[in-house]
Amino acid sequence: MHKYLLAGVSVIAIALASGANAQDFKFPKGEGAFSWDALQTFADSHKGLEGQKLTIWGPWREGGDQEQFLTVLAYFTDATGIAVEYGSSENYEQQAQIDAAAGSPANVTILPQPGLLADMASKGYLVPLGDEARQFVLDNHAAGESFVSLGTYNDKNGNATFYAVPYKSDLKSLVWYSPDNFADAGYEVPQTFEDLQALTEKMVADGNTPWCIGLGSGGATGWPATDWVEDIMLRTQSPEDYDAWVSNDLKFNDPKIVEALELFGWFAKDDKKVAGGAAAVGTTDFRESPLGLFSVPPACFMHHQASFIPSFFPEGTVLGEDADFFYFPAFAGKDLGKPVLGAGTLATITKDSGAARAFIDFLGNPISNEIWMAQSGFLSTLKSANVETYGNDTLKGEGQILLQATTFRFDGSDLMPGAVGAGSFWTGMVDFVGGKSAREVADQIQASWDAIK
Amino acid sequence: MTAAVDRARELPRPAPGWLARVDMGKLLAHLSLLLLVALWTFPTAGLLISSLRDKDQLAVSGWWTALTTSVTQGVTRVGTAEMQIEEGGRFVIRGNLFGTDTNKAIESFGLSNAAPAAAAAGQSLPMADGGAITVAADGGFEWVSDAAFTHTRGPRVFYVANIAPRFTVDNYIEVLTAAGVGRSFINSFTVTIPATIIPILMAAFAAYALAWMRFPFRGPIVALVVGLLVVPLQMSLIPLLSLYNGIANAFGAEDGKTYLGIWLAHTAFGLPLAIYLLRNYMAGLPKEIMESARIDGASHFKIFTGMVLPLSFPALASFSIFQFLWVWNDLLVAMVFLGAQESKLVLTGKLVSLLGSRGNNWEILTAGAFITIVVPLIVFFSLQRYFVRGLLSGSVK
Amino acid sequence: MSDIVQQVVGAVFAIAIALGGAVAYFWGSNWLLDKVLGTGTRMSGREITRRDNLRSRIRPWLFLLPALLFLSVYLIYPVIETFRLSLFDKTGRTFIGFSNYFWALGDGNFQRSIVNNIVWLIVVPSFATAFGLVIAVLADRLWWGNIAKSLVFMPMAISFVGASVIWKFVYDYRAEGAEQIGLLNAVVTGLGLPPQAWITIPFWNSILLMVILIWIQTGFAMVILSAALRGIPEETLEAARIDGANDFQIFFGIMIPQIRGTIVVVWTTITIVVLKVFDIIFAMTNGQWDTEVLANLMFKWMFVNFDYGRGSTIAVIIMLAVLPIMIWNIRRANAEEGTR
Repeated sequence: MHKYLLAGVSVIAIALASGANAQDFKFPKGEGAFSWDALQTFADSHKGLEGQKLTIWGPWREGGDQEQFLTVLAYFTDATGIAVEYGSSENYEQQAQIDAAAGSPANVTILPQPGLLADMASKGYLVPLGDEARQFVLDNHAAGESFVSLGTYNDKNGNATFYAVPYKSDLKSLVWYSPDNFADAGYEVPQTFEDLQALTEKMVADGNTPWCIGLGSGGATGWPATDWVEDIMLRTQSPEDYDAWVSNDLKFNDPKIVEALELFGWFAKDDKKVAGGAAAVGTTDFRESPLGLFSVPPACFMHHQASFIPSFFPEGTVLGEDADFFYFPAFAGKDLGKPVLGAGTLATITKDSGAARAFIDFLGNPISNEIWMAQSGFLSTLKSANVETYGNDTLKGEGQILLQATTFRFDGSDLMPGAVGAGSFWTGMVDFVGGKSAREVADQIQASWDAIK
Repeated sequence: MTAAVDRARELPRPAPGWLARVDMGKLLAHLSLLLLVALWTFPTAGLLISSLRDKDQLAVSGWWTALTTSVTQGVTRVGTAEMQIEEGGRFVIRGNLFGTDTNKAIESFGLSNAAPAAAAAGQSLPMADGGAITVAADGGFEWVSDAAFTHTRGPRVFYVANIAPRFTVDNYIEVLTAAGVGRSFINSFTVTIPATIIPILMAAFAAYALAWMRFPFRGPIVALVVGLLVVPLQMSLIPLLSLYNGIANAFGAEDGKTYLGIWLAHTAFGLPLAIYLLRNYMAGLPKEIMESARIDGASHFKIFTGMVLPLSFPALASFSIFQFLWVWNDLLVAMVFLGAQESKLVLTGKLVSLLGSRGNNWEILTAGAFITIVVPLIVFFSLQRYFVRGLLSGSVK
Repeated sequence: MSDIVQQVVGAVFAIAIALGGAVAYFWGSNWLLDKVLGTGTRMSGREITRRDNLRSRIRPWLFLLPALLFLSVYLIYPVIETFRLSLFDKTGRTFIGFSNYFWALGDGNFQRSIVNNIVWLIVVPSFATAFGLVIAVLADRLWWGNIAKSLVFMPMAISFVGASVIWKFVYDYRAEGAEQIGLLNAVVTGLGLPPQAWITIPFWNSILLMVILIWIQTGFAMVILSAALRGIPEETLEAARIDGANDFQIFFGIMIPQIRGTIVVVWTTITIVVLKVFDIIFAMTNGQWDTEVLANLMFKWMFVNFDYGRGSTIAVIIMLAVLPIMIWNIRRANAEEGTR
């Protein structure tokens, strides 16, 4: 009986209870390209916290990224002696809100939606991080200014306050393809948006289907199209216009946005350009749509999706060989540089304590980034993090795009108010690929934005 | 049509001329029920079959194709120069296109997307990197060249293959052996059993009062119970959690997420339906029994415990099934009132977390759905025997 | 380790306390009532009558007290809180009167939800109850009835995540020419017709979502109705048969009138489930392609937009929708009163 019960005890509980046990480290201390010195400095400057408890609530779940995050936590516990309890759930955003409203939040809450954090800040659920943390982000992160503004929200009284630090980024401006299929058919990776459009047309002329686009995502159906539109916005309009669009200073039905929608429609609303025809775009699950790249014969040749998508490639797919990516190119005819669309998670304090402050400091320590970078799916904007620790060349390549970006902008739909960014924008895109005109959809989304003002 | 009373054991034996005696009504009953059951079972059968399939095939072909041999097109990368061996002056790379898979059989193969079926199994095709490749029906290939191989990237070989039906319990093993599943089973039982028993007790008394006692406001209270059925659960989460946290703080605890809290919450959320169903059932009991008992001088308390409770067993059993199911399959209430820490995760929470951050892994979902269904089905079967006819008639006699 | 033992012991303890407490409370309070207001042979006739009356007036409340207490704290208090919040803006701090209600009336999504909800309310309870009744009656007279009932009951037992995967594999759509993995499209293409993206076709998609709920709720109707059918005294049925009634006469003339109360209860319960239905729409379409319903809309405003004011407003409207059913139930309860 005891044996049986013991088997049921979670591995995590053991790992955390035994805390400072050296065997738990994913990467032995002192080995590899990791910034072990920085960890030591951190440990030395955060003494006297032993035995404290820290609760963290975040988006990473088991079978996804939870394991990696826990390996990072092991080093934190080792350095400070703080016991960490991490939790997440399917509806982690809702639960973070419910817990904050009811008065039982975690010490640290990590969320991927700045819009949601802004909402929580306005209700007084977040604890200001202070000027020092703000200055640190400004100085030590690539595109530091963008990240400071991402983490700054109005408090209860309407004063702009710094609340959140970035940790873990995703890169959105990527197009995935099969190098073999490109080589067999004699296609070349396009360097400009004009080339991309020409390639798309050439594929159609060859009798091939260029794109796989799937917007299906259960209750969130439509979101992959918002990434398309945002990427196109950054390539057709100035970053200032993008910011104005996200804050609705530029109306959603402005011709600039309608133009971007129509350009997306050029790809997605043409039966010849998308696998399964335009009708399939709205219903194909985003998790299944990249599979078309690998089918025999290929259902499509290109797939626009963020850096996380390889986890949905068929088992055994070797990145760099069976599948690779290229940067979603910019227009040669427009002087807008190399814009990059990204997303990421932000960490905030929802219940203040010394341990919570120490954790926020830890996220600015290169080791907290490197440990995850060395495993998978983690892109870092922290300048002090050693890029040599990236686990593979694909990640390194993505990291390079991120660091070389002339313009970095955060996923606009995550910045818009939930009713738009996680509501009418999604549904509008579904309506758009379903046959409504760009104008009609833009009006409809703007109307929903007006309704919440 | 008196044959309608026939029980299975009394079915007429097939005798000469039995066809004439086949009861058309009975036959119709069999057929209609069969049709309905088939309709209801079909989707679930799909889930069961899906849960026993290879995870790669789930999203590629319909579950019904799992039962027959199907044709697939695929591609595999064959070895690089590093894998060559020298044999009698020739250079050979060997391997199997299917890896360790044994249920596929090559029909034909080719070297490009344009011609995936250029040669039949057993034949050879010349390779761009030199030499020629022969692929056998079992997927084994032999790539032979007179000159040494130098290529660093394995070329692709396309094939058309037949897949024989195959089922695997891997998905179940994956779910059952995941760390923490045993614990979450215990947690689910800890939550479910008290949360099923407590509301039944409370509801039974209340239902009896509402069915058989006379007092003011009886009608409005019944209506109130019906009205409370409709309260959306989501609305009560924040006020109640605040209340719990307030109480917990008053006692110096960190937050109000305890088993006691979730038992009481589930109890309250289940009460309206329990009272409503039980009241209806109890009100339907023959009033002669009650009256004769009253005349004999029995008190309400005695009537309730001595007669009404035993007579209401079918209703109590059916409500327990639903309350058990509801609590067992609940995710929202557990997450909010118990929390999502590994040590308190219930089975549904564990499964959802196994699905990963982006909700893929349908193979885990399909297997998980069947693992969670087992316990409620056991409850259903064990309580079903209480739905016996004759409890009432026995007591009337 | 030790915390598991502690947890299991705690749970067993809780069951014991709950059972013991309930017995102690009900038995004890009744005993106390009989003791304090008991009647003796030495009392005057008037005193006995007075005490009898008082006892029978207090006793129902003893039976009801625990349930009412729970209902008040866990349901009535949140309802009041919800109503209060519906008069405030999204932060829950600024009083704005009935503005949220006016907003709702003018909102396109809200209007569409109302229309959809009405269709749901007509279709789902009637079909689920009817199928449940037919299956319960048929299964009762066939030797494999219990197996049949278990199979029909299964959907009820499948957690919602599981059910949404099942129906994904039924309604899935692949482009024409590709292999269909959705059962419905496989059948349709098998008949030589073009496949359809079912869940995107307005009106029909709502019907297809209703099918899912009917599929789930029929098990509920069947179990409750089956229990009620078993409650019909064998003698009644026997007598009818001896009188020469055929199956249909027994079904419509005896069974249905006998369990009419239960049919109403089942119908009411499923109606309320429909008013609250949210998971199905959330998981399958999230209200897109014109499938929005009130409960999903409420969830969106509450937990996606975090506008407690508007979320609460929709919740209040859902609760108001149940008023006619409540009134009807009061009248039924009063009618029963008359017969008793």
